[in-house]
Amino acid sequence: MTASTTGAGPLEHGGRGSRILVRVLVVTALIWTLVPLGWMLLSSFKPTAEVTAATPDVWFGPTLDNYRNLFSGGNNLGPYLRNSVVAAGCSALLATALGALAGYGLARTKARGKHHLSFWIISTRMAPIAAVVLPIFLIFRTLGLIDTLPGLVLAYLSFNLPFAIWLLNAFFAQLPPALEESAQVAGCTSWQAFRHVILPLTRPGLVTTFVLCLVFSWNDYAFALVLSGPRTQTLPIAASQLVTQTGIDWGQLTAIGTVVVVPMMLVGLAVRRWLVTGLTMGAVTGE
Amino acid sequence: MGSLTTGLRRDGRSSGRRSRIPLPGFAGRMMAPGLLVLAGVSLLPFAAVVIMSFSRVHLLGGLRLEGAGADNWTRLFTDPDMAWAWARTAGYFLLTVGGEMVLGTLLAICLWRLRHGRNAALSLLLLPMFVAPVIVGLLGRFLTDSTFGLYSWLLGQAGYHGDLMGDKTTAFLSVTLMDIWEWTPLVTLIALAGLTSVPSSVLEAASLDGAGMPRTLRHIVLPAIAPVLLVALLIRSMDALRYFDIIWNTTGGGPADATKTASVRLYETAFRFFDFGYAAVTGLLMLAVTTVVARYFVRLLDRKGLAR
Repeated sequence: MTASTTGAGPLEHGGRGSRILVRVLVVTALIWTLVPLGWMLLSSFKPTAEVTAATPDVWFGPTLDNYRNLFSGGNNLGPYLRNSVVAAGCSALLATALGALAGYGLARTKARGKHHLSFWIISTRMAPIAAVVLPIFLIFRTLGLIDTLPGLVLAYLSFNLPFAIWLLNAFFAQLPPALEESAQVAGCTSWQAFRHVILPLTRPGLVTTFVLCLVFSWNDYAFALVLSGPRTQTLPIAASQLVTQTGIDWGQLTAIGTVVVVPMMLVGLAVRRWLVTGLTMGAVTGE
Repeated sequence: MGSLTTGLRRDGRSSGRRSRIPLPGFAGRMMAPGLLVLAGVSLLPFAAVVIMSFSRVHLLGGLRLEGAGADNWTRLFTDPDMAWAWARTAGYFLLTVGGEMVLGTLLAICLWRLRHGRNAALSLLLLPMFVAPVIVGLLGRFLTDSTFGLYSWLLGQAGYHGDLMGDKTTAFLSVTLMDIWEWTPLVTLIALAGLTSVPSSVLEAASLDGAGMPRTLRHIVLPAIAPVLLVALLIRSMDALRYFDIIWNTTGGGPADATKTASVRLYETAFRFFDFGYAAVTGLLMLAVTTVVARYFVRLLDRKGLAR
């Protein structure tokens, strides 16, 4: 599936002992990685009494009670889910659209200030969330954007947009400018060349950008904690709110965890081929 | 979409005096909407945070800023708590990023040497990266709970009966391990991409020369993937300072401030004690640190010809 197969069978001379050691280490890493996730999944299907049993219990009558409780009663998860989908989806979509335009412009411009521009864009992406959320809170309060979904979408753009611009810039930079030039010779305008020649060739880049932006904003906690209100809270906030002074319903909490985590794992693995390029913002390529 | 069209129009209007604009022509018009939005969500907050750092911010009865001179800044240098917060940040940073680099690289080498099932193993190992940090924190709490946590129970079987989140040292180590659990896969992924691009002819030559596995790794493989590892280090460095979700949702900075890093401290100063001016000073300091990392990252990409 990935480029990793090209280096198949390196260091064949490794001895039998080292081959066994490698397998043991990989299996250890798999256990360390998967036990927490497996335990969360398992606990989400347990009856309430068994979730917090003093001795870990793997034999139990599985039940959907925890999920049923999440989507019924006074604390229905539905609105939280809708807020998460709308805020993360819109932000990812806007970031990808604006990022495609700006990333293309950045890849093709020959302006002298380009270096400073790149630096400014990347530094906005790296700014500590706590340092950004503070002024945004005051600005949003003044503008009346607290507890609104557009406000949340805009706040998510503060980290998704620089990411999208950089990543798509890397994808566009790989394409030779001769492509648009020949399209223009054939009578296309600059925009038509971009829209009908360049964009279709960058589809993997666009999909990867969208998916990673979706993951970043879906998983956000710090922005939503400060900027959302009763009407706009997202899933991560719902999860943290289950932790109360009086106690924690761990059965429901593991169920929410599963609801939050599984969709992102699926979309993340769907773009695994471009994950290295995406997560390093184009600095490392897998091919 | 509204901002997109206005952005285009605004740029179109100004293109008449093209000679004075540093981004001319089609490329400039393409960049305009994105950069305008980015300016709105980054430059404006930056200006606000600078102003806040020189003010006393009153939230009750309408937002009001009152000049405070350099009060917030001088307080920074006479605040031992803040110095401790930064020391803990440094410790947390070194342990998490250091651990992730070492373990991630080791794991990548193991996967690289695996003959079968490498892709399946990698897919499973990558899963923690997609877990929301807040869920990592809450799940960590669930696993380490002193009465029913799976990991506490396992430690109990091994003879350790303390409360993991109640003790200063174990609480600090626990939040560190949660971060390592989540982000080691990223380093593995990046390092593996570097390893698979090491030409096999080089490895064969080393093997013909009789170099053993440790020597091949030390003298050929590690130098070959050093640039890629540097990228992983920079990416992790930036993010290690960005997030505070895990700590906030597990220990909240405790016990006895043992896990109170600069981010947690900033959040607490602003949204628990409502001292926005002092929080802004902390924020600017954190920005300064990440800017240095960003500077280095861009220079690195420059050398590879990616940023030009």
